[in-house]
Amino acid sequence: MGGGVGAPEQSSSRAKKGKKRKTKRMGFSLDMTPMVDVAFLLLTFFMLTTTFSKPNTMEINLPSQEMKDVEVAASNIFTLRITEGNKAYWNIGFEPPIPFELYETGGDKPTISKKFKELVMGEKEKVRARVNDDVMVVVLKFDKTAKYRNMVDIIDELNLMKVNRFSLAPFTDADREEIQKLGAATPAPVANPQ
Amino acid sequence: MSKVKSKRVGFKLDMTPMVDVAFLLLTFFMLTTQFKPPELAKIDLPNATADRKLPDKDILMVVIGEKGEVFIGVDAQPTREAMFAKTIRKSLEAAGLGAGAIEDSLKKFRLAEGTPVRGNDIKQVAENLERLVIDARLSNPSLRPVIKADMNANYETVEMVMQTFKKTNMPTFNLITSMEAKPAE
Repeated sequence: MGGGVGAPEQSSSRAKKGKKRKTKRMGFSLDMTPMVDVAFLLLTFFMLTTTFSKPNTMEINLPSQEMKDVEVAASNIFTLRITEGNKAYWNIGFEPPIPFELYETGGDKPTISKKFKELVMGEKEKVRARVNDDVMVVVLKFDKTAKYRNMVDIIDELNLMKVNRFSLAPFTDADREEIQKLGAATPAPVANPQ
Repeated sequence: MSKVKSKRVGFKLDMTPMVDVAFLLLTFFMLTTQFKPPELAKIDLPNATADRKLPDKDILMVVIGEKGEVFIGVDAQPTREAMFAKTIRKSLEAAGLGAGAIEDSLKKFRLAEGTPVRGNDIKQVAENLERLVIDARLSNPSLRPVIKADMNANYETVEMVMQTFKKTNMPTFNLITSMEAKPAE
């Protein structure tokens, strides 16, 4: 204790004698390295944790409850049914559903197959050729056990193809029956129709 | 020759400008950082090319987990309080909790990102969700509904949430997706 208190006194008494006491600190330099280290550490931390990007969203407009049903000729309706395990079926009007591959086989990331794009664009052209107007409506029916990603992938693909006339419809028991009927008729319902 | 290559053992550099810039950036990042709130459930977002951005505020977020768990959350604390006051307080009181316990759970609820919507089957979940959505909208009518669902969630749950939005007169909503590059045309 005594030494700690004594030391500054000693120096001040020495200072009284002058000369040595006030060295002008012109070329004062401090080792800033630790401070800079900490500053950069924090800087890196904040740079890495910051999330600037807002999440992307896809907008969905359902018809409001007051809206009346719009009647569309059955021959202009392209129905797409998706059931469990990415199984997809398409048909026009009241024709029996035809299975097709919704996703490209192979590849590490599932992507919507070319077949699907060709189908939609082809049928759209056919309808346009017949009625001279772009009136084809795509009706999407997802089974309960279909995955959410199926919906997002298909809607995104339709948006990309600029097919704006599509709607979501509930997957009814009648739809299930039709697909079951199909399964009984053909032994391999998901076989790729080429 | 000997003049050109002086050995730089005691080499010194003025670091002041670099430190200035470092601190400037540090301050900037410290002030702009918004920490990610803890996630309610692990969500694998589906990929899409949609590039609309989520608005900053007035969000009513319904989160759907991979196994069909449903959570609802709003971003503003007053709305959270209103939701608590209308629905959850009653059910807690019915469960026989004391005022102190309710106060505690209100505190927790105010800070939580969302609350799970419970129910024994999907119908009950739908009813509870509808009630919570209505409460939230009553206290803030300009809420924008948003669905954040896992890509492997069953469509059944997603459809239920969409029908609830439709029923409560919010037919326009957003689905959160993760960005995917547009294919070259």
